[in-house]
Amino acid sequence: MADGGGGWQPPRPCEAYRAEWKLCRSARHFLHHYYVHGERPSCEQWRRDLARCRDWEERRSAEAQRSLCESERARVQAAQKHALVWTPRQSPPADWHLPLPQEEKDE
Amino acid sequence: MAGAPDEREPGPAAGEPVQQPHVAGRVFPERPPEGKPQHRFLSGFLSNNQKCQLMLLRTLEKRVYQEQILRPSWDHRYLGAEQRWEEADPYVKLLLDAMKHSGCAVNTDRHFSCEDCHGHVSGGFDASTSQIVLCQNNIRSEAHMSRVVTHELIHAFDHCRAHVHWFSNVRHLACSETCVRDRAILSILAVRNISKEVAQKAVAEVFESCFNDLEPFGRIPHNKTYARYAHRDFQNRDRYYSNI
Repeated sequence: MADGGGGWQPPRPCEAYRAEWKLCRSARHFLHHYYVHGERPSCEQWRRDLARCRDWEERRSAEAQRSLCESERARVQAAQKHALVWTPRQSPPADWHLPLPQEEKDE
Repeated sequence: MAGAPDEREPGPAAGEPVQQPHVAGRVFPERPPEGKPQHRFLSGFLSNNQKCQLMLLRTLEKRVYQEQILRPSWDHRYLGAEQRWEEADPYVKLLLDAMKHSGCAVNTDRHFSCEDCHGHVSGGFDASTSQIVLCQNNIRSEAHMSRVVTHELIHAFDHCRAHVHWFSNVRHLACSETCVRDRAILSILAVRNISKEVAQKAVAEVFESCFNDLEPFGRIPHNKTYARYAHRDFQNRDRYYSNI
């Protein structure tokens, strides 16, 4: 799907890569990240993705497309590596939209 | 609601308590059956219930400041109104959108309730009625309301997307409360009659997994900037997943 070629576009607009890179490099983010994780943030990947996004926009580079997809898939993988404590639902709770018990009594 | 604090059990703390360190949301298994708030009119002022509802509306929706230019009463032409929009809370916007996407669209009248609460409680999520309770006698400002609504919406979101055993599994409760270890422990102790050691163990077991579960934000939203970026990513998700 991603490397098929036809109709592909970068997963995010290039401005989004730039915004993430700038946010990552900000002093405030450094403080937040260091406080939570005990180490400095690594922002290089955003910069690389920004360069590849621009490369694709200018030259429709296949290598840029491939690298961008790989980078984003790695991000998704990293986010999913911990198993959930609870079981995901297949559908929302059945009683979410039902009227409240006292509303039924009132009617 | 009789407002009689004696009818409620003490303790279950949620959101931002008034004068204590933050303890997190809870479920209300023992809410009195007559849950409707009583409207007390204090002449010249809004009642707690009215203030609560107004603050809730302002948190959930874009705030509109509207000015009408009035003409004398004999001139019935309408001149128009000037409107100014302010941004709604990006945390709340994202949570509402994510819940709608998961099939749990939030209806203000159905899923929120302003009530008097006992003690230093700010609010809670009642899983048995799928309702967020807001403590009208303890929420004093819009900023506070915003924080409580955000917090309880996260519980509602977890309830919507997963089988969370709020009452029977302390690890599930620990997971929904996990942001910072100590606070998660405090939150559990506030709503369950268990020892500190049991609470600590529950948090320790689930912390790694639950701390890294960042749904629906995809990142830790330290402030509104992060929340705005998270909302932008959420709106972009179709393009994102179809192009990786």
